Amino acid sequence: MLLSVRGLGMSFDGFAAVSDANLEIAERAIIGLIGPNGAGKSTFFNCLAGDLMPTSGKVLFDDADITHASPEEHARLGIGRTFQVPATFQELTILENVMVGAFLRHSGEREARAEAERVLELTGLAGLAGKKAGTLGTPGRKRLEIARVMATRPRLVLLDEALAGLTATEVHQAIELVRAIHRTGVTLVIVEHVMEVILTLAERIVVFNQGRVIAHGAPSEVVNDPAVIDAYLGRSHARRAATGAGPSRGRA
Amino acid sequence: MRPRRATGWVLLGAVLLGYPLVFSDAYYAQLGTLVLLGAISASAWNLVGGYAGQVSVGHAVFFGAGAYLPLLLYKIWGWSPIVGFPAGIAVSVAIALLIGLPTFRLSGHYFSMATIAVAELIRILVGNWDFLGASIGLMGPATPRAWWDLVFQSSIPYYYLYLAVLVALLALTFAMERSRFGYYLRAIHAGERAARSLGVPVRRCKLYALMLSAAFSSVAGSLYAAKFGFIDPNSGFGILVSVNMVLMAALGGAGRLLGPLLGAAILVPLQITTNSLFGGGGTGLTYILYGGIIMLIARFEPGGLLELWDRIRGRRAA
Repeated sequence: MLLSVRGLGMSFDGFAAVSDANLEIAERAIIGLIGPNGAGKSTFFNCLAGDLMPTSGKVLFDDADITHASPEEHARLGIGRTFQVPATFQELTILENVMVGAFLRHSGEREARAEAERVLELTGLAGLAGKKAGTLGTPGRKRLEIARVMATRPRLVLLDEALAGLTATEVHQAIELVRAIHRTGVTLVIVEHVMEVILTLAERIVVFNQGRVIAHGAPSEVVNDPAVIDAYLGRSHARRAATGAGPSRGRA
Repeated sequence: MRPRRATGWVLLGAVLLGYPLVFSDAYYAQLGTLVLLGAISASAWNLVGGYAGQVSVGHAVFFGAGAYLPLLLYKIWGWSPIVGFPAGIAVSVAIALLIGLPTFRLSGHYFSMATIAVAELIRILVGNWDFLGASIGLMGPATPRAWWDLVFQSSIPYYYLYLAVLVALLALTFAMERSRFGYYLRAIHAGERAARSLGVPVRRCKLYALMLSAAFSSVAGSLYAAKFGFIDPNSGFGILVSVNMVLMAALGGAGRLLGPLLGAAILVPLQITTNSLFGGGGTGLTYILYGGIIMLIARFEPGGLLELWDRIRGRRAA
């Protein structure tokens, strides 16, 4: 397994945001994390990214214990992440943003620039390389975050609502981008409210509710799970899923 | 390098090299020397305050250490002030480590607050310590024993000495801007959390930037002591010394290579003019002037004059 989460728990002043979460992620898999707001998926996600130190349990990456590793160490090991609210470096150009990521594996400016240019081509941002990140709209900034993390040469990428707030066309473009990234051999964990995205991309879905994993399995199994329907999807979604009707969102 | 940019550099070099030849009058030579000293101090501050966005308001502590050490070594053993330069750097870097190690663990404004606190603490300590001349301060050699005492009658040798140091500092900053370290500092300034997620060793980078900045601030202090041959707690460790560095960099453009030089070229003549216009009674006016400049920069041009210039140029091109 590339990533193993064993009995992970995270408490804030006695409040258990995540309890006894277990997860096994194989190399090159795409895992979707879903659940209503406050379910604990962001806390769980931040524990995987090294932004939060779990109060119990273990996180193993390639059999190495990374439970208490810093975000920098996560990046060095090959775990990259994006942010729910894009955290691009606004005053830097798009190329420079990606170069910051590329410097993780390349110490020289020329090599980092070449790597950044390669990633900009992959992510469809090459034409905007010289523009400041602050000039981009939300879809562009989300795309830039993905480009930036790809420049670190990650093995596992954690996407935090990377497709939220996008129009239908932008969502389709973003899905293509995520697929392109996956084709490079990267394992993906996606937190997303747009069910269409999860159902389209994820091979397995993990559902959180009230800090616990309430379901875990293939998309077809999870969407029909009564506990998931009650906690998150609702009856109307289950009917739509059954009839193959259009996209929907879980209960945010 | 683009031809226009190359022309700009040649022109700037010619102005800086030729200034004392054109303005050889003692007043203007002194003015030029003070502008360069201001530019060195502000460029040193710029490394950590401008590029990394860690706003120190207590850089006087490094300037003061750099100013005191040469004169202290001269007072005790009669050594040339030159020997005090590396001693000042060593002490300043040690102080930078003492400030940076605990405060860079914290986020927000703790670093700024710690720098003010340490600088004020040391100013009061030095002002009451007889070994360091207490409130009277320390004196350097009045008459030179040789060139290495760095005592010259004219301001012009100091001018070229300061210019050489400024060029070295700007060359280092220029190289840093294009290095991994430079990119990392700018990323830290833009967003620490995101930088960390990309593998940027945030705390280590901030600490290195502070140490580098402290070393050059110390050199600025040593250069000041060499020229004036005298230092007291206020001219070495006073809060205005720190504020001057911040203001010059912010006025010209913090985080920009030539921002501090531009800021110094505007602010130093302005200070000298207000001082000569109002004499001793103008002391309070300096604070009013600084307050006014801070408000104007914060309200209208947080990126400094170079950013304003970039915008005007961008509009013309469009």
